[in-house]
Amino acid sequence: MQLPNQDFVGSERAGSAGVVAVVADGHGHSRHLRSARGSRLAVSLGCRAAQELADLIEASEIAEPAAGAEGEDADTLDSPAGRIAELVNLSLVPELVKSWREAVITDVTADPFTEAEEEKRRPGDDPVIAYGSTMLLCLVLGNWLILAQIGDGDVVCVRADGSAELPVPRDPQLDGQVTTSLCGPDPAGDFRIAVLDTRAIPLLAVLLATDGYGNAQLAEDWPSSFSKDLTWLLGQRDTRWLASQLPSWAARCASADGSADDTTVALLISPAGQAMGTQAPSDTTAVSPEADAEDEITIPADAAADDAGPGVR
Amino acid sequence: MPGGGVARRPLHFIVMADCSGSMKGEKMQALNYALRSMLPHLVDWERDQLQAQLLIRILAFASAPNWYVPDPLPVSELSAHWRNLEYVPMGRTNMGPAFRMVAEALSPERLERRALRPAILLITDGLPTDPPGGFEQGLAALLDVPAGRSALRLAVAIGRDASSEPLDRFRSQDVPVLVADGTDEIADRLVTASIAVSRMSEVGVNREALAERLLQPGQQRGAHPVLPPEPGQVRLDDSIL
Repeated sequence: MQLPNQDFVGSERAGSAGVVAVVADGHGHSRHLRSARGSRLAVSLGCRAAQELADLIEASEIAEPAAGAEGEDADTLDSPAGRIAELVNLSLVPELVKSWREAVITDVTADPFTEAEEEKRRPGDDPVIAYGSTMLLCLVLGNWLILAQIGDGDVVCVRADGSAELPVPRDPQLDGQVTTSLCGPDPAGDFRIAVLDTRAIPLLAVLLATDGYGNAQLAEDWPSSFSKDLTWLLGQRDTRWLASQLPSWAARCASADGSADDTTVALLISPAGQAMGTQAPSDTTAVSPEADAEDEITIPADAAADDAGPGVR
Repeated sequence: MPGGGVARRPLHFIVMADCSGSMKGEKMQALNYALRSMLPHLVDWERDQLQAQLLIRILAFASAPNWYVPDPLPVSELSAHWRNLEYVPMGRTNMGPAFRMVAEALSPERLERRALRPAILLITDGLPTDPPGGFEQGLAALLDVPAGRSALRLAVAIGRDASSEPLDRFRSQDVPVLVADGTDEIADRLVTASIAVSRMSEVGVNREALAERLLQPGQQRGAHPVLPPEPGQVRLDDSIL
């Protein structure tokens, strides 16, 4: 018997010309019996929170980084990256955590746990535990790449030279056995963020992937080989071809040959990445799976564990 | 696809087999028979599930530990090329150094990041004979490694006397020490342990409930329960911190 895919993915426009993409991985353990709803809420609320952040940044004076500024200076509060990071930490993350919790409570109030569901819950469990999910958020706004992540999964940035950049700090709590979560005791504290100035660190693409993708990879340093391969593919193929292939990559990872876990990815391709191929570059954009991919660039894809083929909502 | 090949996640299963002098004779014969009997169950389980590639190693320990199967080996390969363990004449039951050796094998530098929660099965007929503090320091080293700490740690005691407080400290909290009252029960206990290792390593299962069903004292005697797979067995056990 197969459980439904508990991952979710979405993308929206953000700010005047930006884009946000979010993937979320609802936990598979029986204790997290409504995690598919939890991941769906995480994606929709993540998109909304990023849009509000984009508006906030554009309304402020920090939207444009100084030319030649370092890309990884988010630790310096006075720097533009530091100020954006502060906004993420003080605004986006707490608002997101709060709104996700409120949305879960609203959902469970409107649709209380059934008797069968109650049997799976542990005594004393906070209702939000049933909705547990990770979240990986990527906001592209002008020259800024803003990342926020809670829980396992991977954010792989593909640099212009084909090397991999992993800007989100590693969390020593994630040992491959357990994960931090939106339903955890300190979700705001467990978020990890990164802010990159893409003028200082030019990127071709960004991959957001739930842990089903990385756990399927044979190579320990798979981000490096992924980045090299994708850089080569960007020079050989257009994004329409990549869009057609991405669901099969996710499906292969989710299959019994791979991690046998739900796998969801979103691939964002920058104008520089698009320019490597045969098409005219446009802004980095993102689409929902239902959208017509013909005039879009960035590709979300997902696959449920044990699927014969890719599952697209 | 970019990134290279894909593969199932490794599930490392380490058997720590007591080969001390007291295992001489019928006990050693029974242990070898039991280990051989256990392997086909693991082969079947690996074939029937989707998520893991089961890789087994065997550490023989007496006065000093010695890897009998040093490199992670597909369980079907070990089953096809099984060679009996032998006891160590005058060998003592020093568990501390054995724990340390397992800890090294499970260190973050040597364990794949994508590996599933490993399983360790300790089989012994006696109390540890380590020098003072040796058992404790060895166990602390094992539990100091994240994978050692999170591993499913099972113990099979050969004889009531072997079911001791040190084994209670080694085992995972949610599983009891399995006791084989006589050599004729060792095979049953190891098969039960192998079922526990396989089923409790599946992700998405309620490990505590499964331990109760598989390993409660009533289940340790006679026929071992072979449970059908549960719905959702292919899910990751992504428990929250």
